[in-house]
Amino acid sequence: MSWLACELHTHTFHSDGKQSLSELAAGAKALGFDCIALTDHNTMTGLAGKEEVERENGISIIPGMEWTTFFGHMVTIGLDRYVDWRPVGPGDIHAGLAKVHEQGGIAGMAHPFRPGSPMCTGCYWEFEVSDWNDIDYIEVWSTTFAPVKNNNARAYRFWTDRLNEGYRLAATSGRDWHHQEPTDEPLSVTYLRLEDNDAPLRDRAIQALSSGRATVTLGPRLDLEISREGTTYGIGDVIPGLPESGQTFDQEHVSAVQLSAVQSSFVQVLATADFSVRSGHWELPEQTFTLKLDSNQGVLFEGSLLRDLPQITAEVPAEELKWLRAELWGIIHGVRTLIAFTNAVYFE
Amino acid sequence: MKTYLIDVQGQVTPCCSRSHIAYRFFLPRPGGKLCVDFAYGPKNLEDREKAKTLIEESVGLYVEEEFQEQAKARWESHLPLKNLITVSVDAPDGHRGAAHRHDPEQHLVISRDEASPGLEHGELFKGLWEVTLSVHAIVTDGCAYSLQIWQEEGDA
Repeated sequence: MSWLACELHTHTFHSDGKQSLSELAAGAKALGFDCIALTDHNTMTGLAGKEEVERENGISIIPGMEWTTFFGHMVTIGLDRYVDWRPVGPGDIHAGLAKVHEQGGIAGMAHPFRPGSPMCTGCYWEFEVSDWNDIDYIEVWSTTFAPVKNNNARAYRFWTDRLNEGYRLAATSGRDWHHQEPTDEPLSVTYLRLEDNDAPLRDRAIQALSSGRATVTLGPRLDLEISREGTTYGIGDVIPGLPESGQTFDQEHVSAVQLSAVQSSFVQVLATADFSVRSGHWELPEQTFTLKLDSNQGVLFEGSLLRDLPQITAEVPAEELKWLRAELWGIIHGVRTLIAFTNAVYFE
Repeated sequence: MKTYLIDVQGQVTPCCSRSHIAYRFFLPRPGGKLCVDFAYGPKNLEDREKAKTLIEESVGLYVEEEFQEQAKARWESHLPLKNLITVSVDAPDGHRGAAHRHDPEQHLVISRDEASPGLEHGELFKGLWEVTLSVHAIVTDGCAYSLQIWQEEGDA
């Protein structure tokens, strides 16, 4: 497996951006990204000359398009052909999603809680979703210095609520990048964890995101591994269900077999922050970070993490767990906030 | 030689927000260059009091209650409110893209070898074409638009 630093929401002058694909790619490369998704509004013509731009800039470009509809913006990536957004009304999003999936693409809600019309036409998600399994991901962090913005915090809670309902839904960041304007605000990166095989990088990236093998950060790349009974699972993986114990235990009379069953209901968690990634492109003051293991059962563990000691191990009870993720909290750009989060590891 | 295929003026009002107005026309000869001139105005809502009212209504709909006062206090950061109508083109052989941007005047062309940003170049086939005006938002009491579509003969 290898990591890919991605910016998944960008525009050129083929829609309302002020940059060419070449300028966008060069800008992304200079900021330490390995990959961008071009998601122009309602057109894919900005992808012309993609291969040459990729070669010249040493960066991968995933084809995409932002469905800039009247009832919500939805980023679609990984498909070569235009899928028409215009026939889709507020109750028809599943028909649109089916067409995106038929073309091999995946779809995510873009900035779902950014205030809508007339400030930003269609920016707020108003589509009726009857089955969240049809949505592949939610862009929970949008624009720069994303975690401090109210609409992103709301999107993060919204994602958490869907996880609590049992949906296996990925979360990403997207700058919604329209022009090459320098900023000193922290930038978000979505790292995708790619399988090492001969498939084209774009296919592996789409597979990683649709499987939830993604971790989002303003700085260090946060990873999470969970071990149970000798097997290790990573972000996006589903840990098989525990055997039914079928009874509660009286501690004084518990048998060895029963004790073993109780012990196996715990899992070992390893959270690691890699502070070496995109070196020089972000800054964090020296500090003690807080690492939280959050889940459908609430925060199961909270501990300190340092740049020099960037790993934490913990043992947490797995019973009743549907999902578990890691969060890194600390001070960045003068504000104490969420700095990084992983996607979930799921439990059957 | 220019062959006009569409030449219309229209008027939209706020009730037209979130609607599409499609013009279908027959391209009598293949080849040449298809030109689309589209303009609409006014672009901005100049009435500050009305803009404030619209923004406050929107904040009420889209912002969580605890942050609504804060958002309303910053209403001026959203000025000017803008009308937005975009253009997309469908050829007999399929979709030819969109020009989704805020310019209130657009001069778009499609030919075999070139096209304006957002649109796909390619053969101009004889047959039924469609230009769609997508009315994303109308914030002024009225907004007038004009659309001319013509074909120019010869290679572009």
